[in-house]
Amino acid sequence: MNISGYIKESIVDGQGLRAVVFFSGCYHNCFGCHSPQTHDKNYGEEFTESKQQEIIEDIKSNPLLSGLTLSGGDCFFSAKEVIKFVIKLKNEIPDINIWVYTGFTIEQLMGKKDNKYKLLEMCDVLVDGKFEIGLRDTTIKFAGSRNQRILDVKESLECGKAILLSLDK
Amino acid sequence: MNNRQGMADTQVTKRDGILSEYNPNKITEAIVKAMRMTEVGIDKELAEKITLKVTQQVEKSKNTYSVEQIQDLIEKDLMMSSRKDVAKEYITYRQKRTEERLKQSELFKIGEGIISGDNEEVTKENANLNGESYSGKMNRFGSEYSKMYARNVMLPKRLVKAIDEGYIHVHDLDHYAVGTHNCIFIPFDKLLADGFQVSDKGSVRTPNSIMTAMAQVAIIFQCQQNSQYGGCGASKFDWDLAPYVTKSFVKHFKKGQMYFGETFVTVDIEELNVDNTDLLKVFPKSYTYALEETRLETKQAAESMIHNLNTMASRAGGQVPFTSITFGLCTSTEGRMISEAILNASMNGLGHSETAIFPQLIFQCKQGVNQNLGEPNYDIFIKAIECSSKRLFPNFVNVDADFNLQYYDPTKPDTSIATMGCRTRVISNRFGEVYQSGRGNISFNSINLTKLGIENGVVNGRTEVDVNGFWSKLDEILDITLDGLLHRFDIQGNQPAKASDFMMQNGSWIDGEKLHPNQKIKDLLRMGSVSIGFVGLAECLKALFGKHHGEDQNVWYFGQELIGYIRDYCDKKSDEYDMNVTCFASPAESLAGKFVRMLQKQYGKIEGVTDREYLTNSFHIPVYYEIAAHKKIDLEAPFHKLTNAGHISYVELDGNARNNLEAFKNIVQYALSKNIGYFSINHPVDKCMSCYYDGVINKECPACGENSEEKISKIRRVTGYLTGNVNNFNSAKRAEERDRVRHT
Repeated sequence: MNISGYIKESIVDGQGLRAVVFFSGCYHNCFGCHSPQTHDKNYGEEFTESKQQEIIEDIKSNPLLSGLTLSGGDCFFSAKEVIKFVIKLKNEIPDINIWVYTGFTIEQLMGKKDNKYKLLEMCDVLVDGKFEIGLRDTTIKFAGSRNQRILDVKESLECGKAILLSLDK
Repeated sequence: MNNRQGMADTQVTKRDGILSEYNPNKITEAIVKAMRMTEVGIDKELAEKITLKVTQQVEKSKNTYSVEQIQDLIEKDLMMSSRKDVAKEYITYRQKRTEERLKQSELFKIGEGIISGDNEEVTKENANLNGESYSGKMNRFGSEYSKMYARNVMLPKRLVKAIDEGYIHVHDLDHYAVGTHNCIFIPFDKLLADGFQVSDKGSVRTPNSIMTAMAQVAIIFQCQQNSQYGGCGASKFDWDLAPYVTKSFVKHFKKGQMYFGETFVTVDIEELNVDNTDLLKVFPKSYTYALEETRLETKQAAESMIHNLNTMASRAGGQVPFTSITFGLCTSTEGRMISEAILNASMNGLGHSETAIFPQLIFQCKQGVNQNLGEPNYDIFIKAIECSSKRLFPNFVNVDADFNLQYYDPTKPDTSIATMGCRTRVISNRFGEVYQSGRGNISFNSINLTKLGIENGVVNGRTEVDVNGFWSKLDEILDITLDGLLHRFDIQGNQPAKASDFMMQNGSWIDGEKLHPNQKIKDLLRMGSVSIGFVGLAECLKALFGKHHGEDQNVWYFGQELIGYIRDYCDKKSDEYDMNVTCFASPAESLAGKFVRMLQKQYGKIEGVTDREYLTNSFHIPVYYEIAAHKKIDLEAPFHKLTNAGHISYVELDGNARNNLEAFKNIVQYALSKNIGYFSINHPVDKCMSCYYDGVINKECPACGENSEEKISKIRRVTGYLTGNVNNFNSAKRAEERDRVRHT
């Protein structure tokens, strides 16, 4: 599995200061995507053990972080491998807050109990939906187009339907 | 030239290139003049003999002699005569004249640069001054002459040498000769309560409403600004203005009683205040009306004050006054109304909701008052965070930092640390009581640490650092720097009270009103501070050790030892001279570029030291160095404690900070927890002037596609203050801004 990038501290990929890992590989092919180079799953560098460990150490030693964001690409296309990384991460930082960006909708991910579902379960917040250039809006927080939703994963799974995250809490 | 009268008389070429008739008498006169200066005296015969000799030579030549060539002949003949003493006088006289001419031509060149607007270092020396406007140019003319005068006539020679060699910078040199002082916290409580005089033009009474009080604040700032050259601030604005909110409430309440017929009892004036809940019970309509009207008036008052402070171009050269407002600890309903009103007004911005550059807002952070949920002013702190995420300020000053907390007395608002927008602070005072309003910094000089580093470091081809050489040179430079400050203080202190009329007449400077207009201000001015500042610690360390303090822990320790040494020197000299001598993490807007240009001339471009267009500000980790936000805070924190004249640390955010208050707040509170004294977050504040889109704009406006540079306003911070637009930055600051690595 490759990653196309890693940012130690970001303020635009979710609430609070967050580390971000961009996983390579995405087949949604949204028109107007701002990082089309990441669609190729061979793009970027290999997500090696040592790279994973380095990221975990960074997060552990940074008192300012509110958590980690999984972005891409779309990490649900490599759910099986991403899960392994998240398990490792949670072993060392059990209460880590995880946001994940995807082109799938939460309804699609909740559909059947496969690896996608398992990965979803491990996250706290899901920003879902494809980027729709016609619905592009520069004023909304943490998303690119108006169809995309910021969802509370635990609540949504519990209720069996999409529940929006209240950002102001 | 066609000369119809045939052969002209012998001619000489004057310095301006014009031909003039040769006059032998002038030569005799010049020689006699030189003779007059000698002990032996005048020998007319010899003078005429030399004149004749020179004349013969000039006349027989086919070429036209220049004035300089003729003078060379005179000099040679004098040297060969018996009167070597005359020759000496003559040569000295000639040299002096040459120097003067050179100076005049220097002045001429400066003038040319100002008029044409070509000399960017002159026209853009100050990012908030329009050097291309008429008044800006007038100001530069005065300022450049004044600088030259100070340099050539007044400054200690040792200081001039150190300036020329690039060791020291004397800030605001243009004010040296006339004796102006730097900055002040204005005691607004006093000036508003007592009323104030504007020279002999008239007096202003104490205001009876918050609207009038805020209008007077703008007037006071404006008048005070002309008594000084640096910033003017309010150290406890919420406390100072709260009484006028009460006055407005009383006014509206009484009006309400009339309107609503609630006049059945008269209420004692002491009972009439916002927090008296009995009023609501007995006079429900009047109270509700008065509260609403007071809120509205306070809001409008703050809006109008902010507009005034950004539009009154009353300061030298068409600048608005450099104003700073510190606030945040007053928990009375009235004080909170003031804080909310100025934050709301700043968030709303000016006419087209542009970011107001002034007043620079500074929010005081204090545990138990405004730092945690449940504390009385926590909501105002959150609003301050929101405002800062939109407008780059407030900056945050840390009352809980141990070096500030020691002065804090909750019963005395003026003991909570405040700063000028640029970072200057005065809280410690060797002359007794702790207070800030009524005094300020008198002047400061900055040391080019990088130069000391290059001279003694491994970078200069050495195999080993010359630590002893470094410390002994530093000692020498510290002495020269302090000498300069004391020399300047002497000039400043010997000014009569009338020179800074508004300031002394009204007691903006403490006890000024007690002085006779002709009385010297020395003993009062002493209450302020003189400060030794520094620039380029990072490059100094890089030059010394090959690494800066962000790259190596031992180097970081050495950096602290170095700044600690300067601080100890200041403390020692405070005792020796009975002055408040303090150590300053200098703001260095144009200096950062000026120093590095001098160093490049002297040493060339040294990698990591002089290869950029600026030196790193004070003790900062270089802006181009990649480092996590928390690490930058950790590394810079210890330097805050050492720099008691003022300091600031920044973290750079990339992206639209206003969308992520959680991140913003966490970073601020982390910095506070690390004993950082004064802190702020830099982030892009861009605005499209075509569609008024607010947010981050890279090449083009994401909302309307506008891509013309003139149509996109980019507000950034320099020195602690904001500046209108990056386009007004000088080249060094533009380069520094470009290189800033976002820590996120």
